[in-house]
Amino acid sequence: MSKRPRRLGRYAAFLLLAALPGFAATAAAHATRQPALAPAPLISATRRLTESEYRHSIDTLFGPDIVVNGRFEPERREQGLLAIGASLLSISASGFEQYYAIAKRISDQVLDDKHRARFAICKPGNPGGKDDACSEVFIRQYGRLLFRRPLRQDEIAGRVKLAAEGAEQARDYNAGLKLALTSLLTAPDFLFRVEVLEPDPAHQGAMRLDGYSRAARLSYLLWDTTPDEALLEAAARGDLQTDAGIEQQADRLLASPALEAGLRAFFSDMLEFDLIDVVTKDPQIYPKFSQEIAASSREETLRMLMNELLVRNSPYLDIFTTRTTYLNRALASIYQVPFVAADAWTPYTFPDTSDRSGILTDFSFLGVFSHPGRSSPTKRGAALREVFLCQPTPQPPANVDFSIVNDTKNPSLKTVRARLLAHAEDETCAGCHNKTDPLGLSLERFDSLGQHRTSENGDLIDVSAELDGKKFAGTQGLGALLRANPKVPACLVRDIYAYGVGHAPGADDKPYLQTQADAFVADNYRVKALLRRIVVSPTFFAPSPAAADNPPARTSAAGKALISANNTHQESRQRSPTR
Amino acid sequence: MKFSRRSVLRGAIHGATIGMALPALDMFLNDNGVAYADGAKLPTRFGTYFWGLGLTPGRWVPAKAGTGWELTPELASLQGLENKVSIFSGFRVHLDGRPNLQHWTGQAAILCGIAAQRLGAFDLPSFDTAVAAQMGGGTRFRSVQITPFGNPKLSYSTDSGTSFNTPDATPLALYTRLFGEGFQDPNSDIWKPDPNVILRRSVLSAVSEQRKALMAAAPSSDRAKLDQYFTSVRTMEEQLAVELQRPAKAEACMVPKAPPESRPSGRIDVVNANNKLMADLMAMALACNQTKVFSVVHTSATSEAYLAGDSSIYHLHTHDEPLDDKLGYQVISSKLAELAFHGYSDFLRALDSVKEGDATLLDHSLVMGFSDTGYAKIHSTDNIPMFFGGGAGGRHKMGQHVVGNGDPVSRVSLTAQQLIGLPVGEFGVGGMKTSKTISEVVSA
Repeated sequence: MSKRPRRLGRYAAFLLLAALPGFAATAAAHATRQPALAPAPLISATRRLTESEYRHSIDTLFGPDIVVNGRFEPERREQGLLAIGASLLSISASGFEQYYAIAKRISDQVLDDKHRARFAICKPGNPGGKDDACSEVFIRQYGRLLFRRPLRQDEIAGRVKLAAEGAEQARDYNAGLKLALTSLLTAPDFLFRVEVLEPDPAHQGAMRLDGYSRAARLSYLLWDTTPDEALLEAAARGDLQTDAGIEQQADRLLASPALEAGLRAFFSDMLEFDLIDVVTKDPQIYPKFSQEIAASSREETLRMLMNELLVRNSPYLDIFTTRTTYLNRALASIYQVPFVAADAWTPYTFPDTSDRSGILTDFSFLGVFSHPGRSSPTKRGAALREVFLCQPTPQPPANVDFSIVNDTKNPSLKTVRARLLAHAEDETCAGCHNKTDPLGLSLERFDSLGQHRTSENGDLIDVSAELDGKKFAGTQGLGALLRANPKVPACLVRDIYAYGVGHAPGADDKPYLQTQADAFVADNYRVKALLRRIVVSPTFFAPSPAAADNPPARTSAAGKALISANNTHQESRQRSPTR
Repeated sequence: MKFSRRSVLRGAIHGATIGMALPALDMFLNDNGVAYADGAKLPTRFGTYFWGLGLTPGRWVPAKAGTGWELTPELASLQGLENKVSIFSGFRVHLDGRPNLQHWTGQAAILCGIAAQRLGAFDLPSFDTAVAAQMGGGTRFRSVQITPFGNPKLSYSTDSGTSFNTPDATPLALYTRLFGEGFQDPNSDIWKPDPNVILRRSVLSAVSEQRKALMAAAPSSDRAKLDQYFTSVRTMEEQLAVELQRPAKAEACMVPKAPPESRPSGRIDVVNANNKLMADLMAMALACNQTKVFSVVHTSATSEAYLAGDSSIYHLHTHDEPLDDKLGYQVISSKLAELAFHGYSDFLRALDSVKEGDATLLDHSLVMGFSDTGYAKIHSTDNIPMFFGGGAGGRHKMGQHVVGNGDPVSRVSLTAQQLIGLPVGEFGVGGMKTSKTISEVVSA
């Protein structure tokens, strides 16, 4: 499972520069003047903190009563995951304005009269003015937690000065400290996960991820938050460069209740729950719909997943077939079951005859991958392939005249099903629609709101389908089909790995992913054990392939097809005319 | 730290560069480039206005070219504004061998002068950001992006081609940003500089101090991202500098009241109602000198807008709906096109209702309206509807209908930049590269 150590490549120039006498002299001068000023680190990758990572980091450091209030810059899904998109994004001018406002609100709360005592790790001599020594203690401590590494002396000094200016102007020590905290919260080192390289002593000329970058990979994958004190200390000691040290930390993180936050964040990304925030239904057709239903459905699915995968340690495949879920009052109304519990949420097991089949029949899937006024077998089918099989659907060709197969006046094509099946007879459409539509047609007993139905416009709904020569029917048939498909576990392995390392796996990663997938199957699809195998493998800590090593494929036809397919994955749900 | 305008105006990707800092045409500028040769002040406001899915062939292009064009069914909402709007028909995207990325290529080509290589990103910055860099100074916001559709991902304005400027997606969010904390009524008699603003600038200085170290250590792909980040920091520093100055009186500025909170909805009548509220707010943002540049995305290029009670959405209709046997066009799609375009007309009308001196705000603005396709049914990027609304401070010879005969859409974009006074001699890359101003719409 080990990965070839990274060769020097693009760093040669830098090292060459470093070897020049002038450079060395400057560095030495720096060193004499300012011993804490290490040479600039080499960056391997910068990954913009996702909204979820940002919120969890603040929650971890300052507590849940510090409200993170503001609008985050939108994220971008690339090759199936926001986590991959995060490696490509920067912060726009209007986005930074918002990050600044959020940071200021956090600082104001953390250092207000109510909360200050909790974070006052140093008591200023004069609360009505500056206290450099005291503010340095605060900046050093919280800077390290926010930047996920110790601050350099120059980074501390600038903020101590800022705190002093603010304290003197406002005649208030805390007013100054708020400015320093705001500047930490708006720094690129916090807003981006900066992954840093260091020379690998075991492989001369190769680079490896430094300990702090490793700590962040572990922490954000498993806990969705900034590394805690113990992880930072392990990084400082060099423990995260040894198998034993990594295993020790991995086991500690996996045993913690915080693992739930990590898994929730991962599945929210994989299942495209960001779409839940923007899902709308036509109130004239679906008067029952409300944003509460949409938000509840996210929670429903996550509760089911945590129960199956964490609490019960069930095989991953069970999520497609379990009939046990969690309901609140809002969801009970669309699932057409009575809600009698005293608690806001209650477990509920649908009867065998309900057609309900795990995640496939949650509103978070059925409702999100539908149109505002009707269900969409194609959208659902394409989403099933993309989300659970990692198979993006290409865009339809630009110049297809869809009306030929969608002529509602044609007496033989009255129903959605009939019109969709007509695609199969049109060569241009068949290639893709034969792959997506059967999957979606098997879910047609559920409308755009996820409500069960057996007929449409008076006709019984036919949920039989055929895919790759295999006949199946309805949601339970679909669940069984997914259970039997080896691409389903392989896709989860791919997604967890890509989510953790922040880039799409390349051709080099194939053997590694296959080995991981085999182990996952052999272990009967236990997700927690899969997570452990991934985070203790050296490949998980390999530096990200830089753009220079991995130019976008744009010359070969195969490369073009790949790019086009990948892009479709990103955009298709919003952009391709899925019916 | 200094950011040259060139670094902002010039995107260099895959070695392709677009030179936007070329000498302006003599016909436009005087020697120092700050005013027109005739001494008139530069027009001060520029906006782009995008709606998805184009208009219907046969339903919008007036039969008559030049002046005095007649209102067509889908342009009906322009009634009364005919003399303040110019129409561009028959312009097209030159793909230069690139794929026609559905519902993406059109807006990329118009805004960047080159068809995009891939979905979700442009190859170059969108030109509205160059406009903002050039003329957005001196106001609180260099530019403002909005969408009445409620989806905060809807923006085609980008400084980098990859990160898109986040829009305000509801009227209340827009109001809060423009007229909430930090807003100073230019007509108020009481004014003193806010000492907190100075401190906020110090916060940003502490952040930008790290620029050099980070940039030196980053590989090229990350350098571009970090450069964008630090440019954003710099933009906010400039914004704060403006807040430290006493705002000049603005005769037309009437501080608006907060709009009610609204739920995002794709229902076209709700979108258009939000569009009107946001148009009024934006008009006051311009009149109160809060910004000079804005971008509106009325509906996305794959518009999910719908008619109340209709189980399908606009985008699906454009592909699914058969042509009506008798009428020869898609009836529902055409209705939705008319309503989407109504958003643009309403926006212009909002600017026109604000009197500034002896003219209107619209007379001092240029709002370029455009879409992604010429015929959504087949994703055609020929004959993409494009419009200029507003007088651009007298430089726009309004009320023209110009027939492009297959010329690149970049000609329209180039002319827009020139009308608002950017010293730009050419625009676009490859087959889209052009230095041909559309002189029919330039005042003599």
